[in-house]
Amino acid sequence: MSRDRHSAVGLAVFAIAYLLGDRRYPLDTLATPGPGLFPLMAGLALLALAAWQFATAGSHARAPAQPASTTLQAVEPAAVGPPLVMVGILIVYAALFRLIGFFPTSVALVFVSSRLMGLGGWWRPATLALGITAASHVVFVRWLGVPLP
Amino acid sequence: MSDLFVALTPPNLLACFVGTVLGTIVGVLPGLGPAGAMALVLPLTIKLGPTAGLIMLAGIYYGAMYGGSTTSILVNVPGEAASVVTTIDGYRLARKGRAGAALAVAAIASFVAGTFSVVALQLAAPLVARAALAFGPAEYFAFALLGVVLLANLTGGSRVKSLAMVVVGIMLATVGMDPLGGSVRFTFDVAGAQAGFSFIAVTAGLFGVAEVLTTMAEPASTLAAAKVKFSELYPSREELRRSVPPMLRGTVLGFLVGLIPGPAATIASFVSYGVEQKVSKYRHELGTGAIEGVAGPEAANNAAAGGGMIPLLSLGLPFTPSTAVLLSGMLLMSVTPGPFLLRDHPQVFWGVIGSFYVGNVMLLLLNLARVATIPSRYLMPGVLVLCVVAAYSDNNNVFDVWVLVAAGIIGWAMRGLGYNPAPLVLGLVLGPLLERSLLQALTIARGNVRGLWSSGPSAVMLIAAVLVSLAPLVSVVRRRVRA
Repeated sequence: MSRDRHSAVGLAVFAIAYLLGDRRYPLDTLATPGPGLFPLMAGLALLALAAWQFATAGSHARAPAQPASTTLQAVEPAAVGPPLVMVGILIVYAALFRLIGFFPTSVALVFVSSRLMGLGGWWRPATLALGITAASHVVFVRWLGVPLP
Repeated sequence: MSDLFVALTPPNLLACFVGTVLGTIVGVLPGLGPAGAMALVLPLTIKLGPTAGLIMLAGIYYGAMYGGSTTSILVNVPGEAASVVTTIDGYRLARKGRAGAALAVAAIASFVAGTFSVVALQLAAPLVARAALAFGPAEYFAFALLGVVLLANLTGGSRVKSLAMVVVGIMLATVGMDPLGGSVRFTFDVAGAQAGFSFIAVTAGLFGVAEVLTTMAEPASTLAAAKVKFSELYPSREELRRSVPPMLRGTVLGFLVGLIPGPAATIASFVSYGVEQKVSKYRHELGTGAIEGVAGPEAANNAAAGGGMIPLLSLGLPFTPSTAVLLSGMLLMSVTPGPFLLRDHPQVFWGVIGSFYVGNVMLLLLNLARVATIPSRYLMPGVLVLCVVAAYSDNNNVFDVWVLVAAGIIGWAMRGLGYNPAPLVLGLVLGPLLERSLLQALTIARGNVRGLWSSGPSAVMLIAAVLVSLAPLVSVVRRRVRA
């Protein structure tokens, strides 16, 4: 099964889950529409589009390939490692953001992400992490009064 | 009319400069929108007095429209929704080494459109505002639907994928409070979700965080082309020549769209891109880094920003969050906008109009002076922190940080699967407008669906939407018949 067909199945599953969730809200009538009516229309529209994509995915695969620049670049499988590590770090970051605060979590985030992006050594990532976080703290917390944790 | 020169007094010039600089910075920062920034400086502007205060607020408003193009072109992160379309060709131009030309054309297009809209605002405000007010729920629905359907041609890739992303955006917009009845939907008892998904968190995640993850997959090559030397800042004669027609089309189109209530600047930029894909001589290059894809949408969103001021200044009706903050500023300064503004406060009215001319010149210089030479390994960690701050500060809620992270991961996966996040963002913005206008139109028509196309403008827009959606089907059928 092609990648487009996989993503069409994913969209269909999402649409079905959404429609199941929508059953909790009343539809009422067209003259006095309830909160469930519009989501029902949107869910059905996505289901139809997913079916359309599934049906046409095979013919797209046989068609001549589009110029690479008109479609978004696919991520090379060999380079998936660093972004996957970053995904894990972002999840830990969001979990710790409230618990230990913006400053220490952001210093760690910038340090690790700059290392993952190829910034060598320890001093440069550490300086960058402290610099970016301190600058953000001054601008947003001190000047603009954003109540970061 | 002599009050127009009030804008040239030193305090007003300074207010205009500070406003345009702040607006440019706000436009550059991912997620931090002009409305939020205007609200933050509102207490300061009240101390400046009505003319200087409103000049500063207006400067932030249109400065953000200019500034939003910078990050769209250099790092593929739109500063605000109206710059989303600019990422498509602007970022690809940057990767081809033409970032300077793209930035300069964006600045020139913004200047041309901004100046045109100021002149038109001056001449036609009362007349066109009355015409725009004739729009009812059925017309809003038809207009938003037409915008959504035009999006199917946006990415230059699969129309089905584009439409699917618009619908996913609309579905995400249904999370939280129902716009008519106030029922809470799809929150699954998560307290932070009651206000719905933060537009800022979703956009910063889909574009900012996803860009960081994508860059990590190919750190050596990414953004190498986005470095701009000052000597390379100016577009070539050929690029300038090619920019003129889309710039003029975008200006007129953007101004007309700007008169219609709603997220006009965003819609105008998308519609302008769609028009370029239909009429441009170089339409086959759109999506690959064509200068037309920057000139048209940038002119359109700036002209729409000017057009959006008409209902506010002439009738006292704000239709966007930014103009709503401007209205509250006016009221706090004891200036009542509306038909009597010109009679009661001529210096304020003409001073603000005059500042638009001055501000446009300042912004042209500010935008042409930008030089970005920051390598991605330094820039991207900073983008991550800015995204987190922008997402959190929207509602001061950790839930939005989770939304940001989830949107970033989904955005990265979408790129891998060949889906463009831009249509999803427009779906998210237009979702509430579509739902509210559809349900209101049905209620007014007592459940009769014919009420949706009972007026001339709504019928024309719905027919246009149907024709645009059927066009690809017709071409597929024709190809198969030939085969």
